[in-house]
Amino acid sequence: MIGLIKSTFGDKVQIQLGQLGAAAITVNNGLHRDVLKTMLAADGKTGITAITGLDLGATIGVYYHIHTSDVFVTIKTEVRKENPKTQTIVDLHPGAAFHELEVADLLGVVFEGHPTPGHFVLSENWPQGVYPLRKDVKVNEIKNVPTPASETIKLPENERLVKIIIGPQHPALLEPEKFAVTVDGETVTKVEPRIGYVHRGIEKASESRGYLQDVYLMERICGICNSCHAYGFVGAVEKILKTQVPPRAEYLRVIALELNRLHSHLLTLGHAGLEIGYETLFQYFWRDREPIMDLIELTSGNRVYSSLITIGGVRRDLKNTDIPKIKTTLKELRAKLPFYRQIYENEPTLKLRMKNVGVLSKQDAINLSVVGPVARGSGYDVDVRKDEPYSAYGEIPFKEIVYTTGDTWARMNVRLDEVEESINIIEYAVDHIPSGPFRLELPRSVPAGEAVHRLEAPRGELFYYVRSNGTDMPDRVKVRTPTFANIPSFLKTAIGESIADIPANFVSLDPCFSCTDR
Amino acid sequence: MTDTKTWARIKSPWVLHFNSGACNGCDIEIVALLTPKYDVERFGVKLEPSPRHADVLLVTGCVTQQCAERLKAIYDQMPQPKFVVAIGACACSGGVFEGNYNVVGGVDKVIPVTAYIPGCPPRPEAILDGVVKLLNALNPPKPKKQPKQAELPKEKTKPEAVEAQAAQGIVEEEKQVAK
Repeated sequence: MIGLIKSTFGDKVQIQLGQLGAAAITVNNGLHRDVLKTMLAADGKTGITAITGLDLGATIGVYYHIHTSDVFVTIKTEVRKENPKTQTIVDLHPGAAFHELEVADLLGVVFEGHPTPGHFVLSENWPQGVYPLRKDVKVNEIKNVPTPASETIKLPENERLVKIIIGPQHPALLEPEKFAVTVDGETVTKVEPRIGYVHRGIEKASESRGYLQDVYLMERICGICNSCHAYGFVGAVEKILKTQVPPRAEYLRVIALELNRLHSHLLTLGHAGLEIGYETLFQYFWRDREPIMDLIELTSGNRVYSSLITIGGVRRDLKNTDIPKIKTTLKELRAKLPFYRQIYENEPTLKLRMKNVGVLSKQDAINLSVVGPVARGSGYDVDVRKDEPYSAYGEIPFKEIVYTTGDTWARMNVRLDEVEESINIIEYAVDHIPSGPFRLELPRSVPAGEAVHRLEAPRGELFYYVRSNGTDMPDRVKVRTPTFANIPSFLKTAIGESIADIPANFVSLDPCFSCTDR
Repeated sequence: MTDTKTWARIKSPWVLHFNSGACNGCDIEIVALLTPKYDVERFGVKLEPSPRHADVLLVTGCVTQQCAERLKAIYDQMPQPKFVVAIGACACSGGVFEGNYNVVGGVDKVIPVTAYIPGCPPRPEAILDGVVKLLNALNPPKPKKQPKQAELPKEKTKPEAVEAQAAQGIVEEEKQVAK
């Protein structure tokens, strides 16, 4: 792929191999569309992982992180600060729509030709011309005006249609988000999302804290997949530092990440039961989730925020005396899985609410760049643990779970099967853990440089971009979370279905908005 | 009559949960409270989806700009007497997000708070303890129970303040009924 770009564009592109993925391709503003077009034509699985915007002084950098079936590359382009205009790529790849909106909101880049411009993360009455991620904006000088409790709703032009507002406070949502659903009778014709109710400005805050403090801050992006966020940041920083952590630390990290996945999947499987009115299933799954929480507490000292993964290794070693307890707990959970599988296979109410609901085809999954169990439920086999093994995943055997029907049922079954795979991984890791040190002492300052790190969080691929300027604080941290990439699939699959199917369909994405908004 | 009402209130408080910009840590712990291991329903606590039926508002999160006015609106919709419990470090003071743009920082900057339960996130046992303390505070203190209560306070809950506010709430409700 890189050779193809080199031969097609010649001197117009500068290619640095091994930077920000397989290669960083620097192009002039405007040419990024042509490079992307070439990549899309050459590889059917080309998609966009993230768009990073960053303040580079006189210019604003717009970095397109692109994945294809075999490589991960970054297309770098820059726009002038006084005229920050560039061409949209939504017409080439619809999955880029949300990424562009976010960069526009936080850095003021204008994407010409974007189908739905406007605020996406920041509130509607955010002060004009203040772009929080620009370096000249001081956080304490931003004059905030709270969003009024009620907003004007644009009514649909056709009188047959009714607009139903779900959120920000709604029984079906655990988190404050708003979805304006237009319905014709009971059939959904349009879904307009509005995120940003949980936007806490974490990316900006990370620029004024030290690297070690940032590990704890990044963990607090999400209370569910917290170890994954810590590892995403730590992994990127360690790439800039060019260090190799001890093998024992890598195994301990795998155990922490998989425990995270276990409790997250059990949580979602139970939550799905609640959303379809099957509360017993919810109570069963959450009952079986508690022993996993006890294991997280046993291995890290904390129930929810494990804070185990840190720069240079892990904070705490695994005691040999704890291993039997881990094994017994996992064995007990494994023994319960056939019961759940039988419910998913045979329970008629569950099948009625989940089979053929929210069907996402494989081609749509590729076009919208969805990740994780949503992609794997549609037969699109992406799993960073397999595609680009990190930590100790290269040495541990496990299966990649793929279902092909693409409906809610398939997405939930991917998670149910992954619970078993996670148990296998932890058991293998505990048995084969090498001895030795579990942490390196590393300097507080990080040399100037930039790196990306991708990992498979419970909800899908989590992406971190970290840029350092040689001090003890990062220059820019960008997080692209899995739910951010998966929401477009819900907007597509909800259309044409009954409004009563929205909760089941929506929860099958395992949405996490504290991740999405940051 | 007041005694009967207080008794009924203590035996079945309906709670509403509002996430004002939390990371899901505290929220999941609240949901965990409802599940078999902790089972808060044995105290008569029921999670209620509508603010108009709720007695207690459990707020998590650091209160973002988008949520501040909505939190106030939800509080206004609740019937008297009403109690607010701030759960987690963020809800108590803004926590790790204090000072960020888009963050108000602390529930008490927007609505009055009856009880604070700190922690990041507080353990389900701590939330349970806080809720039970709030319920106990509704009861007029009996002389026999006083030494026992003095041993308890591990939490940041202020029993006197809670009682005063609870009493105030009941008085206000009585006034409304009288009208």
